[in-house]
Amino acid sequence: MSSARTTALTPAARRGTKTALGLVLTAIMLFPVYWMVNVSFTKTSDMRRTPPSLIPLDGTLDGYRAVLRDQLPYLGTSLLVGVATVALTLVLAAPAGFALAKLRPRGGGALSFALLVAQMIPGIIMAIGFYAAFIKLGVLNTLPGLVLADSTIAVPFGVLIYTAFMSGIPDELMAAARVDGASTWRTFVSVVLPVSRNATVTVSLFAFLWAWSDFIFASTLASGSQLQPITMGIYRYIGNNNQEWGSIMATAVVASVPAAVLLVLAQRYVAAGVTAGAVKD
Amino acid sequence: MTTLEQGGSAASRSSGAGAQPPARAPQDGARSSGGSRPGAGGRRRSPSSVSQLTAWAFAAPVVVYLLAFYAVPLYRNLDLSLRDYTVRSFVQGGAEFNDFANYTTVVADPTFWPALWHTLVFTFVSIGVQFALGMALAVFFFQHFRLSTTLRALFLVPWLLPLIVSASTWAWMLNSDSGVVNYALSLVGVDPVHWLTSPQWALTSVIIANIWIGIPFNLVIVYSGLQSIPADVYEAASLDGAGPWQKFWRITFPLLRPVTAITLLLGLVYTLKVFDIIWIMTRGGPGDSSQTFATWAYDESFGNVLPRFGSGSAISTLLILMALVAGLVYIRAQHKQEAS
Amino acid sequence: MKRSIVSRRLSTAVALAAVATLGLSACGGGSAPGGAASSDSGSAGGTYTVWDPYPQFDDSSAWVQLLKKCGTDNGVTVERTGYDTTDLTNKALLAAQQGTSPDVILIDNPVISTLADAGALTDTETLGLDTSGFEENLLGAGVVDGKTYGVPVGANTLSLYYNKDVLDAAGVDPASITDWTTLTAALEKVSAAGKKGITFSAIGTEEGSFQFLPWFWGSGADLTELDSSQGVAALSLWKDWLDKGYAPNSVINNTQTTSWQEFATGEYAFSENGTWQLGNVKDAGFTWGVIPIPAEGGGVAPAPTGGEFVAAPVQSDDSRYATTTKLISCLTSPENALATDTTLSYIGATQAVQSEQEKDAELKPWVEAVQGAKGRTSDNLGTDYPLISEQMWDAVQAALSGSKTPEQAMKDAQTAAASATS
Repeated sequence: MSSARTTALTPAARRGTKTALGLVLTAIMLFPVYWMVNVSFTKTSDMRRTPPSLIPLDGTLDGYRAVLRDQLPYLGTSLLVGVATVALTLVLAAPAGFALAKLRPRGGGALSFALLVAQMIPGIIMAIGFYAAFIKLGVLNTLPGLVLADSTIAVPFGVLIYTAFMSGIPDELMAAARVDGASTWRTFVSVVLPVSRNATVTVSLFAFLWAWSDFIFASTLASGSQLQPITMGIYRYIGNNNQEWGSIMATAVVASVPAAVLLVLAQRYVAAGVTAGAVKD
Repeated sequence: MTTLEQGGSAASRSSGAGAQPPARAPQDGARSSGGSRPGAGGRRRSPSSVSQLTAWAFAAPVVVYLLAFYAVPLYRNLDLSLRDYTVRSFVQGGAEFNDFANYTTVVADPTFWPALWHTLVFTFVSIGVQFALGMALAVFFFQHFRLSTTLRALFLVPWLLPLIVSASTWAWMLNSDSGVVNYALSLVGVDPVHWLTSPQWALTSVIIANIWIGIPFNLVIVYSGLQSIPADVYEAASLDGAGPWQKFWRITFPLLRPVTAITLLLGLVYTLKVFDIIWIMTRGGPGDSSQTFATWAYDESFGNVLPRFGSGSAISTLLILMALVAGLVYIRAQHKQEAS
Repeated sequence: MKRSIVSRRLSTAVALAAVATLGLSACGGGSAPGGAASSDSGSAGGTYTVWDPYPQFDDSSAWVQLLKKCGTDNGVTVERTGYDTTDLTNKALLAAQQGTSPDVILIDNPVISTLADAGALTDTETLGLDTSGFEENLLGAGVVDGKTYGVPVGANTLSLYYNKDVLDAAGVDPASITDWTTLTAALEKVSAAGKKGITFSAIGTEEGSFQFLPWFWGSGADLTELDSSQGVAALSLWKDWLDKGYAPNSVINNTQTTSWQEFATGEYAFSENGTWQLGNVKDAGFTWGVIPIPAEGGGVAPAPTGGEFVAAPVQSDDSRYATTTKLISCLTSPENALATDTTLSYIGATQAVQSEQEKDAELKPWVEAVQGAKGRTSDNLGTDYPLISEQMWDAVQAALSGSKTPEQAMKDAQTAAASATS
């Protein structure tokens, strides 16, 4: 049979080889991250050593001490901004995705195209454009303003994801709800949204990660705020003449940990197929 | 062979969420006023009792959002590019229209053609390789061996790092003298390569770093696409005696075409904008050897103590136009696909 | 009926989202931008905003404490924000455009002419600020068309740090280095002894130009004529060092910080770096010294001045200037300036502070270097300087990376600079 043709290994051994290969590939992919950790433990005098040391045997914890001393408020702010951005993105993207996928407004194609064009605008142009508007709205140098700005990174993409997922929801589901007398809104909230849970998780993941690593909006629109995200916190170590690379890398390492945890948890949901929860023919 | 083809098209015809490759969305909207849609059987028109008003009511917040947050910056950028802006007129106001003088200056600049070429090379090589690797990895991880979920999650870690950190880490690794890459090369007897400081290698180095950063995105999207292909199609193929390669090329790849199209398009749009990585690693240099439109635009507006906003915004507008053209090509290709 | 329920529900949802985000302002609200929007005017209290490029200093630092004290001494509250120095120019321009400029701004000295040109700064005469105590060569960077637009808070410049251990091992006496020939000879000896010669920063930014200028000026060249034989000679000097291996290839991408890191490994004999490294060099772990950068034919090369100026952006309410002037005077008073300059590792900008600093043997060579230094935007180059500088660093990059010869690079740079500044 076909399985016997491909390989002589037992299924378990084949899976074992695959795991090994997976580990190797992951190690190669994550090597720069390892290097980042390496640098975070390196003393200034060793930073430009030739040849470079692969393991920081003669290391220092100074970078991490600086991070624990300075960066915790920034991490907290990043978390807050990330969560708020996710909330705002979902509130804007889900109804729009539903409209484009199921309600088919006339001119919806133009809207989709506009959303695509929206993603073509470089961040710095958006940031400069927002500056004046934010002053008028009174949200310059405030966290709500930053959340608004960060959401612009994720909303068009979010609408795209929602539209895609929701188009796949069978019309029978909606027809059934309608027969029971539900309004469109009710159908949306009670039937469509729960079924689109995976889309919601995917959009949330992207929105959070993009907000977490955003620098351009934080720098242009929120650098005068009392609470700043971690991407600005790194600048504490970038003085006007000197940069403390050990501390910068240590900050990056510490900043990656909560996001990495989130990723591993969320992956399970993004992994569950689109078919879950939908009516199969 | 015939069975495989039938299996493939049957998958695209069956109703239900599973068979629908996710990325048909933009074209669906484009056909909102149309009637039947060939090739996508199983999805009928929405009940006509849902009024246009309700539909637009749901879409309204996003429309307002688009106008407020995208149209305004776009307009300001266009305005900046059509006027003669000096620092004084930027601050005080009253800049005169100079028609397209900024654009002609930009096109006549000796940096224009190199930057255009670099932009095209950077973008197409990046998205091509990112996508190929992303797809290969997605297919690989889809085989659900031990630890595959965790490893796949770990592959997304590069995404979490602030760009200043990823770019700086790559810059350090590629340093001519103290970088670990040259150290590794020296262990196998290769002379040190001047990754970031020679005109020959600068563009390649930033492309490599950009590919690394782009793999997670491609991996996630393609993986989601893979999940929407129902398992019975593969089972049918196995019964017919198809090997893994054939399964990939005859089933997976064709069914992923919509996902491929949207991933490549989004990849193109995002990669055109990329500037942090290049800026931090090489500043577009040495000379102009890794200068792209995105970095050049930034350089003109912010890379100098004396900003030249007019040129900077003209270059950005040209960049957006390039992305726009790509978007239109995509839509056209989708329409043709639908019509066939 | 159905329609209104739908739209009502929708608007509720949107309103809720808006409220949720705005509700964050309870814990997220930051300082309101600029001084023009603050409540009280001028004299009897109120908030004055200060922007500086020292994000490494937080609220508990001596610098910020000094700012606040100057405020309270003059009956006002000072609100300070630290920005990344490369970002501050755009911030200042944007703020000026929107009318939200801070009351006091500290900014890198070459930027002063740009901001003055934009009409974003008030000159010292209008402010009633006395500039007589400041050293002329340092004040020059802030003079545009005969008017002064700020005062230096301190200055720094470049010299050659050397690693005595490496020089001893190579048999080189630092005192013997008096011009380019002797310097190159020393580098050759060091290289022969197995160590590395010199490291500097030739990156394609203002930092690179900053580092190149002592050599450029030291050959007798002038910024208005990049392609003079002297200018080409300076560039050829660097190119020569790279080709012979006396300087590492990484200088093309080095910032002054990464160049310093190379020096800190102990493998290099010389590092061209600035006053601000004085704090770091003590942690170096080897015996060190400083010599001035030699000019081509002998003597000390004029080095460019780094360091920030304190300036007063234009405000719509000019009754604020009285207090602004007092704040600036407080910051630049001899006592406070000495404290600030010590923290920043700068040399003072006034005779008073400089004579105090000369008493320190380590600082003495730096004080002398600063006295011989020159502002980059001086000689009324003003806003022409950034345009020339950009071409200059492009030329350096092209020559060092091998894509052009020094002659060709400088020639192209001069053509471009001439057309840009015409």
